[in-house]
Amino acid sequence: MVGKTESQNGAVKATAAPAMNLESDLFSNFSFKSFKLKTKQQELLLRVSILGLVYILAFITRLFSVLRYESMIHEFDPYFNYRTTLFLTEKGFYEFWNWFDSESWYPLGRIIGGTLYPGLMVTAAFIYWTLRFLRFAVHIREVCVLTAPFFASNTTVVAYFFGKEIWDSGAGLVAAAFIAICPGYISRSVAGSYDNEGVAIFALLLTFYLFVKAVNTGSLAWALASAFGYFYMVSAWGGYVFIINLIPLYVLVLLITGRYSMRLYVAYNCMYVLGMLLAMQIRFVGFQHVQSGEHMAAMGVFFLMQVFYFLDWVKYMLSDTKLFQAFLRITVTSAVAVGALALGVGTASGYISPWTGRFYSLLDPTYAKDNIPIIASVSEHQPTAWSSFMFDFHILLFLFPAGLYFCFKKLSDATIFIVMYGLTSMYFAGVMVRLILVATPAVCLISAIAVSATIKNLTSLLRTKSKTAVAGSSKGTGGSKASSKASFDQSQPFQKNGAIALLLGAFYLLSKYATHCTWVTSEAYSSPSIVLAARGAHGNRVIFDDYREAYFWLRQNTPPDAKVMSWWDYGYQITAMGNRTVIVDNNTWNNTHIATVGRAMSSYEDEAYEIMRSLDVDYVLVVFGGVTGYSSDDINKFLWMVRIGGGVFPVIKEPDYLVNGDYRVDKGAAPKMLNCLMYKLSYYRFGELVTEYGKPPGYDRARGVEIGNKDIKLEHLEEAFTTSNWIVRIYKVKPPNNRW
Amino acid sequence: MAPKAEAAQTLASQSDASQSSIDPLFHILKIFPYSIIRPPRLRLKLPSFTLPSPMTVFALVLLTYFMVVSGFVYDVIVEPPGIGSTQDPATGSVRPVVFLPGRVNGQYIIEGLSSGFMFVLGGMGFVLLDLALDKNRAKSVKVSYASAGISSIVIAYIMSMLFIRIKIPGYLR
Repeated sequence: MVGKTESQNGAVKATAAPAMNLESDLFSNFSFKSFKLKTKQQELLLRVSILGLVYILAFITRLFSVLRYESMIHEFDPYFNYRTTLFLTEKGFYEFWNWFDSESWYPLGRIIGGTLYPGLMVTAAFIYWTLRFLRFAVHIREVCVLTAPFFASNTTVVAYFFGKEIWDSGAGLVAAAFIAICPGYISRSVAGSYDNEGVAIFALLLTFYLFVKAVNTGSLAWALASAFGYFYMVSAWGGYVFIINLIPLYVLVLLITGRYSMRLYVAYNCMYVLGMLLAMQIRFVGFQHVQSGEHMAAMGVFFLMQVFYFLDWVKYMLSDTKLFQAFLRITVTSAVAVGALALGVGTASGYISPWTGRFYSLLDPTYAKDNIPIIASVSEHQPTAWSSFMFDFHILLFLFPAGLYFCFKKLSDATIFIVMYGLTSMYFAGVMVRLILVATPAVCLISAIAVSATIKNLTSLLRTKSKTAVAGSSKGTGGSKASSKASFDQSQPFQKNGAIALLLGAFYLLSKYATHCTWVTSEAYSSPSIVLAARGAHGNRVIFDDYREAYFWLRQNTPPDAKVMSWWDYGYQITAMGNRTVIVDNNTWNNTHIATVGRAMSSYEDEAYEIMRSLDVDYVLVVFGGVTGYSSDDINKFLWMVRIGGGVFPVIKEPDYLVNGDYRVDKGAAPKMLNCLMYKLSYYRFGELVTEYGKPPGYDRARGVEIGNKDIKLEHLEEAFTTSNWIVRIYKVKPPNNRW
Repeated sequence: MAPKAEAAQTLASQSDASQSSIDPLFHILKIFPYSIIRPPRLRLKLPSFTLPSPMTVFALVLLTYFMVVSGFVYDVIVEPPGIGSTQDPATGSVRPVVFLPGRVNGQYIIEGLSSGFMFVLGGMGFVLLDLALDKNRAKSVKVSYASAGISSIVIAYIMSMLFIRIKIPGYLR
């Protein structure tokens, strides 16, 4: 506590510094005065404690499902990630990198080493090995479950530094607090949601922060750090395409607005070249950075930067402006022409592949609906309605335009970046619900700017009285002091009261935000999806653990080389928990294979039996929600099976299953619907069951009708297992009859 | 970045330019066909490209934000009706339904637009508040800005809460 005297407005008390300098005895210094901190240290203590609390808050608020149920992996995709992480920790990195899995996509198999993004698994394995090295005997499942909350806490720290870079440290703190509890981020990073996005958002924000820092400072070290951040992002998630298109777009905007500088040149060149080389180390990405249409924008801007540098150098060498103007015109024209020619030749010859369906449907949202039913069928890929925005952002939706206003008021390289990130990510969030996640950091940062600027204005109003007394810092007053002094003296108490009232209002709004976020997290985003909960008749909570019951039955009661056919949603879970080979799973890389399964499910039993024999299927698994009222079952997904199957095999026609355009399962349903394999397997023996008091037997609680065909006989399959609430039903495929 | 060309060049400067130009295409064109054909005397000006002011861009951005947040893309793809309708079971009359019930991610067009308007109104409230705290204005203007800003924020927040409570019946319970 050696004192530097500070000339701030009189909040500094003289510490016991002189006394300490004189006496060296520890005990006599131990007076209460020595605990008094200077303003700078008070501020530092405040900031560090706020960040610490926010860090802990971000972790804790994601633990609802662990406390309510147990520490388990949620949903579908995380089970694949868990299985691969388990493999990595058991067999080592070399085996993992070269793994060919014959247990999924029978009989094709899947090259797992070359078709996944290893970042998440390697991170979790690294944390696991570190903890093991420190002699903490954790199980890999606990590490996997808690990876996402841990990285969410790290994201808040990065958000603080990013906010500090863009605006000031106040905005950074508010941004960290917003991001810690924002439901848009929590939805994909609760404990148990062991998915790529949990790590990827951290990598995304880190890359952006390092790049903006590099542009602001022009330092090579920061640029290289951002390249490594980009490498981490490429290894973690397919959404890295967003980074490799946003950063060139940002550079282009800076060039257009006349903000070209040596800092920008150094930052972008280093980041692009090194980032591209590092990204090619991931087998799944391969040479896409030079071959795929989605990455061409970055290359184009790279060459444009070189042209800019060249022109700058020529301008410096030439002294004749007219000559330089002519030279400028020629160079720009020829550069654009050469670039367009190269792009045309590359695309025409097929070397540069066009945009893939997934990303093209972001630019043209109607494309997936008409052309690619698999992409259109996923509920997360639907466009966003206003209520989803409100649910995930709450008051940030008001603060976002206000923050944009403040950014436009004080334009700089960094604020231009955050504005572009916010606008592009909000547009994509409007196209696809799932991408609200990518927009969340931008919205939190821009809203934090609005909050910080507004509160700064209000508190400067509160401080005006003390400021006019002390001729000093001009932190917010500015302008002419003389005239303001006169008017202030009259309306000062009113202004002060008004400012206090407004500050209380702001505090009220922010507390409502916190309440909303906690409620949304608790009610909507903390469900494991594999364990269902409902309220019983007396208000008690009833838990349906049917999925795990069925998978465990499969694991224990079927031969180890049995092959299970089910719809692709459940593939990852069956391989991870049931440990059996599946025909199709969530990777959905082979549309024809999925269409074959869809065709089998929608055909009559005889044709389906042919298909199942050709695929060596031993067991069929269906999910049925008629007894419990569970609405995400296979009968509700059935039309997608028909559409996808019909997309490849024209023998399956969707109108055959509908009646006047209506999808029905009761007496008035189409005859093909009443006799197809899916119907038979779902409703086998259901006609004898009374599900609800006062309703006839065979009343389907999910559809709300009595089923049409109650007397179902199965010829080629027999029922093997039905879970206690009839949610999962497993059938065994019988071998063909003897010739006699 | 684009170079601005001079308007209505005189003959003298034209010949000057032709002597000192290093543009190869210009020299080729000078020989063929324009040594045979006489180029007409025109007064042309290349359109000069000036960047719009930040606040203009901000206005455009606000418009785009309004469209995105109202669920415009949802409206284009899913094509919901402008307003829903339900039949009263007792009387048989058809009553309009403004908010699509049952799911979070679904809307009718009108409800999307009105919610989007509320969000933009709230944002503008904060902007007005900032304008009110700017020192270089007349006092009455500042007071009216401040009151408009505060009332905008309050109205927008209350209406948004009302909308979400109607849409999701179990909200905050």
